[in-house]
Amino acid sequence: MASPPPSPLTTPLSTSAPDLPKSAPPVPILPSQLARIYSVLHPAALLSVFAARFPALVADPVSEMAQQLPILALAHVTYAMICLPPAGSDVSPSAPTSPASTASGSATGTATPSGNVILRPGKVGRRRTRDSAAGAAGASAWGAKLAPALLSLTLTTLLATPTLSILLILFGAPFTTHHVQTLLCAAHMAILSSTALIYVHGVDGPVWKEIWGCKRPGDAVWGGALGTAVGAWLGAVPIPLDWDRPWQAYPITILAGAYLGFVGGTMLGRSLLFGKRLRFDEGEESGKKVD
Amino acid sequence: MAFLSGSWAIIIANVLTPLAVLVFSSGFFPYKPLIPGLARFEDDSNSTVVPKAFDKVIFMVIDALRSDFVYSNNSGFLFTQSLIRSGAALPFTAYASSPTVTMPRLKAITTGSIPSFLDVILNIAESDTSSTLAYQDTWLAQLKAQGEHLVMYGDDTWLKLFPGMFERADGTTSFFVSDFSEVDNNVTRHVPDELLQDDWSAFIMHYLGLDHIGHKAGPQSPYMVTKQYEMDSIVNNIYTSMEQEEHLQSTLFVLCGDHGMNDAGNHGGSSVGETSPALLFISPKFQALKTFRQSPTDSHSDFQYYRTVEQTDITPTLAGLLGFPIPLNSLGVFVPELLDIWKLSSQKIHLLLSNSRQLLRKMKETFPNHRFEPHSNSINCETEPLPDVDMAECAWVQVNHLLYNSGGVDKDDLYPELESALLRFLKLAQKVMGSAASDYNLRNLLLGLVITFFVVLLSFPTTYTLLSRPGHAGTFFALSILSYGGMMFASSYVEEEQQFWNWAFTAWAFYLHGKTSIHPRCYTSSQHGLGNCHRLYELVLSRYGAVALLLSHRVLRRWNQTGQKFAAEPDIARTLLPSHRLIFWSFVALTYADTCRHLSNRCLSRLWRLCCFTVTAGAFLLKLSYVASDSPELLPETIFAPLRRMLGGGSVIIFTRLVLGGIISLVPLSMYSSKTPQQPLAMGVFSSTVFHDALTLFLITQSRATNIPIFLIFRLHADILASMTLTALELAITSLLVQYMTFFAFGGSNSISSIDLSNAYNGIGNYSVILVGILTFVSNWAGPIWWVSAARVLRLKQAQHERKAHMAVITFHMAATLMSVMAACTILRAHLFIWTVFSPKYLYAMAWTIVNHLTVNLLGEALCSL
Repeated sequence: MASPPPSPLTTPLSTSAPDLPKSAPPVPILPSQLARIYSVLHPAALLSVFAARFPALVADPVSEMAQQLPILALAHVTYAMICLPPAGSDVSPSAPTSPASTASGSATGTATPSGNVILRPGKVGRRRTRDSAAGAAGASAWGAKLAPALLSLTLTTLLATPTLSILLILFGAPFTTHHVQTLLCAAHMAILSSTALIYVHGVDGPVWKEIWGCKRPGDAVWGGALGTAVGAWLGAVPIPLDWDRPWQAYPITILAGAYLGFVGGTMLGRSLLFGKRLRFDEGEESGKKVD
Repeated sequence: MAFLSGSWAIIIANVLTPLAVLVFSSGFFPYKPLIPGLARFEDDSNSTVVPKAFDKVIFMVIDALRSDFVYSNNSGFLFTQSLIRSGAALPFTAYASSPTVTMPRLKAITTGSIPSFLDVILNIAESDTSSTLAYQDTWLAQLKAQGEHLVMYGDDTWLKLFPGMFERADGTTSFFVSDFSEVDNNVTRHVPDELLQDDWSAFIMHYLGLDHIGHKAGPQSPYMVTKQYEMDSIVNNIYTSMEQEEHLQSTLFVLCGDHGMNDAGNHGGSSVGETSPALLFISPKFQALKTFRQSPTDSHSDFQYYRTVEQTDITPTLAGLLGFPIPLNSLGVFVPELLDIWKLSSQKIHLLLSNSRQLLRKMKETFPNHRFEPHSNSINCETEPLPDVDMAECAWVQVNHLLYNSGGVDKDDLYPELESALLRFLKLAQKVMGSAASDYNLRNLLLGLVITFFVVLLSFPTTYTLLSRPGHAGTFFALSILSYGGMMFASSYVEEEQQFWNWAFTAWAFYLHGKTSIHPRCYTSSQHGLGNCHRLYELVLSRYGAVALLLSHRVLRRWNQTGQKFAAEPDIARTLLPSHRLIFWSFVALTYADTCRHLSNRCLSRLWRLCCFTVTAGAFLLKLSYVASDSPELLPETIFAPLRRMLGGGSVIIFTRLVLGGIISLVPLSMYSSKTPQQPLAMGVFSSTVFHDALTLFLITQSRATNIPIFLIFRLHADILASMTLTALELAITSLLVQYMTFFAFGGSNSISSIDLSNAYNGIGNYSVILVGILTFVSNWAGPIWWVSAARVLRLKQAQHERKAHMAVITFHMAATLMSVMAACTILRAHLFIWTVFSPKYLYAMAWTIVNHLTVNLLGEALCSL
């Protein structure tokens, strides 16, 4: 009964994806005490604020979503700055010597960011200043974190929000009506999913190719992004029911799904599914499948 | 060998399926026997106590006469509205329960009972005579028994229901929906003669044109108001005669619709538009009642104009007004507004009492545990929340109490109280009897369910070996079956099933995206014609196939709004295309051109190309002529007028047959004209692709004009899927998903009213159940049929065992979905929506199983692999 493997690239592989040799390793949460606490606090706070503001959201989705947008953006950038290594920072101590080995999920605990945080703007080559003293970084770290934070906010607004709006429409959001709702919902989803991704990965081409192909190894950032998308997709489920409840109106359930999905994805990504990838071919079984 | 037994299991499973459907249906649609015989007055004095108010009745049914067509501001019934203002016409909205199709509704109007759901099927299989009412108690039979004469003109459903009932009759077939005027002229030409005759006491007319306009062009069509003016002029003629002719002095004129229509102009379901036909009692005598009503009124979105009565109320009302006993099976209540035609209160009470006693007999039969006797107070009527049956019993006890206390029916001061008590009982009894569950044969239901479960078990092992392979396609398949199965228990998800398939399809497109973006290379190698990566189209398809799939699916999703909740929202087929005719026609022409290109690309013979071109051009002209006759609003006037002249006359049927013959002969012709000797395998590939393209042309012919551009999207989808390397399981899942998804994209839904009959008579001269049935199926399942064939072309290279795996997967899917629908219908058999939502879904599940799965999928596969 076995159907022969149709493509030459679907042979089962024991290590996770050496066919993508330039892949960046999964990104762990920063090891500091503050980061660890805040990385749990932030999703909890997000959910509680969302729950508290839910009646207002149902009453007037547009104005509520618009009002919450800057607060969410601020909160999320703070979360990224406190808990995540900024783009360009060296996550793995042995990065330049053997990139393939770091790709494996075993790098989980050992990854300790050295603190020398360098933004890599655009596609200009890596400026690796690994030798700079760790102590000097203390004050400048926050300054160095600010640049990727600003970059992530800009790109989230300019690129991620339009992209997610288009994706929402492709996945069934109204095309001729509810434009403001779609845009605001996409903006919320963009902050949840993309801000951290851009903050961590900058504009690293190979990484974004992986993201486009859904091939990133699991971590808090990618888990949160994928979780947001899957949650929003699942959020469409109650809409056709004939309960005639006000919260069944178009963007509300999608948004609720996105928030829940973000939290779930973040938690799963940094724990159970850390370093695991979605696989679509009939290869080894790993990761999770949406649906 | 395990493998052999596997394929045998699949064969046995598919053989068992029709049996399961048959057994379950026999339990689910029980034959409800009605009480035979004719009702008589309990004592002969009865007829003298209440003298009849009218001698004759003119009963005019206008098919699909929704309430707002008569009552609203933009109605064409101007004369009728003036009658309402003058008080000569008493207007009502008559609630027509589901199924809102003609035959069950006529049964309700004539017997006063609520017909079983089985009548829907019998309504479609129109030649069936088992559903005759010849031996049942109807107001027609009562009149006939009194030695009166009846005449009938219009829908021949009446002639089938009442064979031998009419002195004079002229039937018209109700199924040629493309005819707007001839059906009605055929009735109207008899009206002046019959109005001069004085031998009849019931003159029945049934006009079909308005329904045909609804089916073809919808309630907003410009034809609709014209037709309303025409009908109004007939009402005017009849009313004028009633005022002038001596022998029509004591005549009641009833004008009613048998059912309404929804916003798309179809009916059969339970939406408010479909269940709200108009009902008017008209006579100059009513002016004496001095009930002046405002008319016309503003449009109501709920279609409830004036007071809403039950359609079954017509029967007892006619019985009272014309002075004959109420038919035995009636569940109707005399319309209280008409009571005032009698002066004496005792007569009114007497009439209501006889109506109550008749309903009470029906209730005692249905609820043998309840005795309905005044002194056997087994229940406490004081406790507030009572079941409806007990409430009815209490109401009857109260009636008896009043009667007993009044010592007969002669104390004037008690009358108003007694009248309201009687009406209260009647209303309660009607409610109880209307919602009383029909007696299912539970044993057959369970037996059918068990057989289906066995089918699932039989197909499970083979499917399981496929699903258990690593990879997420199996998980996706299992989850989609599980969620679909769960969904069948929720009425709103059944109504909005298209949302599920669209939703699942987006996830599947995401899966395909993830799968193909691993190795974004071009896999369209030699076997796909000119497949070669240098071409931009194929490069784009192979890189961004899944995105293109999503994009085109989003367009497809909006093509036809369907379901219940969002059905009225604007979409492409009904809103965008009619207002952008140039775009519409260029897409249609492009679809035909693309089909012709695919056909003629297959081989190089010039004769063959000529044939292809001729047949495609013929098919295109044929579609033009259909559009010209059915939906002229799609054609610009400059084209429409000459086309109409050119195609006038009865040549369309012959033309259709010529085109169909041409399409059918393309396949053998292609064999003949391909000169190069080919190997058997290549020959097989060749003939199946030609078959697929010829089938495309046929399906286009059978589709509504506004749906034709969908086939372009199908081609794109098929090209995208061909550029991906999919396993047998993935192909089977894709095929199933797309079959269901496209069924709804063409405008299908799980409501009877969405069955599209506009292409069911193409090329048919005389009504034939089988041919019309086949054409109806093809025109409604065009999308699924196309995809079964397209998936076959995609699967041409599959090895034998992969084909068997495909069969196993689709059999398992069929059995699992059928079982979930059956289980939902069994468990929810007492649900409020069982006849409006779940039963239609079961009928659709039957069509999916028997016709789409067994015939199209399996038989098609078997025939093609011969």
